[in-house]
Amino acid sequence: MRLLRQDLHTLTGAFALDALDKGAETDRFNRHLNRCQSCASEVRGFREVATALAFSAATEPPPELRDRVMAAVARTRQLPPEIRTHAGPRRSRTRLPWVPWLSGAVATVGIVLAVLFGFAQAHTQQELNQARAQNQAIAGVLAAPDAKLLTSRTTAGGVAVVVLAAEKRQLVVSTTGLPSLPAGKVYQLWLIGPVKTVSAGLLPSAAAGKTAPVLASGVVAGDKLGLTVEPAPGTAQPTTTPILALALPV
Amino acid sequence: MNPSDPDASRFRSTPTDRRGERDLDDLLVHVARGDQAAFEALYDRLAGPAYGVIRRVLRDPSQAEEVTQEVLLEVWRTAARFDPAVGGAATWVMTIAHRRAIDRVRSSTAAAEREHRSADIRPAHDEVAEAVEASLDRERVRRCLDSLTEVQRESITLAYYGGNSYRQVAELLNVTLGAIKTRIRDGLIRMRDCLGVS
Repeated sequence: MRLLRQDLHTLTGAFALDALDKGAETDRFNRHLNRCQSCASEVRGFREVATALAFSAATEPPPELRDRVMAAVARTRQLPPEIRTHAGPRRSRTRLPWVPWLSGAVATVGIVLAVLFGFAQAHTQQELNQARAQNQAIAGVLAAPDAKLLTSRTTAGGVAVVVLAAEKRQLVVSTTGLPSLPAGKVYQLWLIGPVKTVSAGLLPSAAAGKTAPVLASGVVAGDKLGLTVEPAPGTAQPTTTPILALALPV
Repeated sequence: MNPSDPDASRFRSTPTDRRGERDLDDLLVHVARGDQAAFEALYDRLAGPAYGVIRRVLRDPSQAEEVTQEVLLEVWRTAARFDPAVGGAATWVMTIAHRRAIDRVRSSTAAAEREHRSADIRPAHDEVAEAVEASLDRERVRRCLDSLTEVQRESITLAYYGGNSYRQVAELLNVTLGAIKTRIRDGLIRMRDCLGVS
């Protein structure tokens, strides 16, 4: 039976979870992956999801295992690296395919800031890749068809500007005019849900009164975006009254 | 934002972006040069998740231990082949771990043993949530799993944690192959967006 291309494409999920049958099916999908860049990048993203699933199942292994593994390592020879030719096809440089889709002043300002902050401080290729991934994620939120712009004044002064992409369950926050904090204090973002409150990370330090856009993921229905002042480097739960509690329509 | 700021990385809660992932990649580079101390540090970070997922798939703690040892040794042996352009160190190691567990499941003897237990194969989806506590990542994964439709969640759980092929999942849930492929993929897309994987 010959699978249509469309059928092959929908196998990305099963493939990333190692749920294809070994043999012909896996071989055929692997061949397809070599030709289909969008499939390959989808599989990469799904593998990260799988990694999150693995981490959420983490269990302390028996302590003897460590000794056994270390003993085995001490007597096991490592494989040499594969030598790749100069123009190896696998490591294609990351393109920045998102720039052209963007329109609108908010998006543009956001991107420019994100790129400046990301790239100015990225030193290694790894950091660059991370910065690009981050910027790409932010761009994804700003360019989402259902993106909503929310603004709110905080009780301490200053304004938070939020772009919410409900479908993606992500949002991007930037602020202007927040009071500057004494040393040892940070602004921390929260997703305040009806049941649980989770940290959504820290605001970066402001430049000219503005903080660079930051991304928060995993917004669920009923969440509010909160902002508190916390001792550095942030806390597990809020310890002060939020200066902002913005309802998020998802 | 500043990607080297450890606090900033909390915004992205997937394991490959979690705090310290860059260190993991660095560690693996040192491991590739034969640095055993780096390997010990890597062990301390990744043995738990690797053992956890392998045990989840195999159920049997002693088999899980054996496979975990094989996986970690493979990481040591093949560290020089790790390519950060394809994904982070955690993803690389977890992919090897899950694949080895699946190989074990699908090898004939293990398959025969598991046939007996096919009644247990279907986990209550709550199993995913069991033992969830403080860890933000764990909490977030749970929240994201909760945001899936029930069939999406079941399909993903049965495939990834249950070690079933999508054909087996289709059988277990009594739906067509086409539907299962789509549900797994749609569920993963939603998880990916929810976790903020780019």
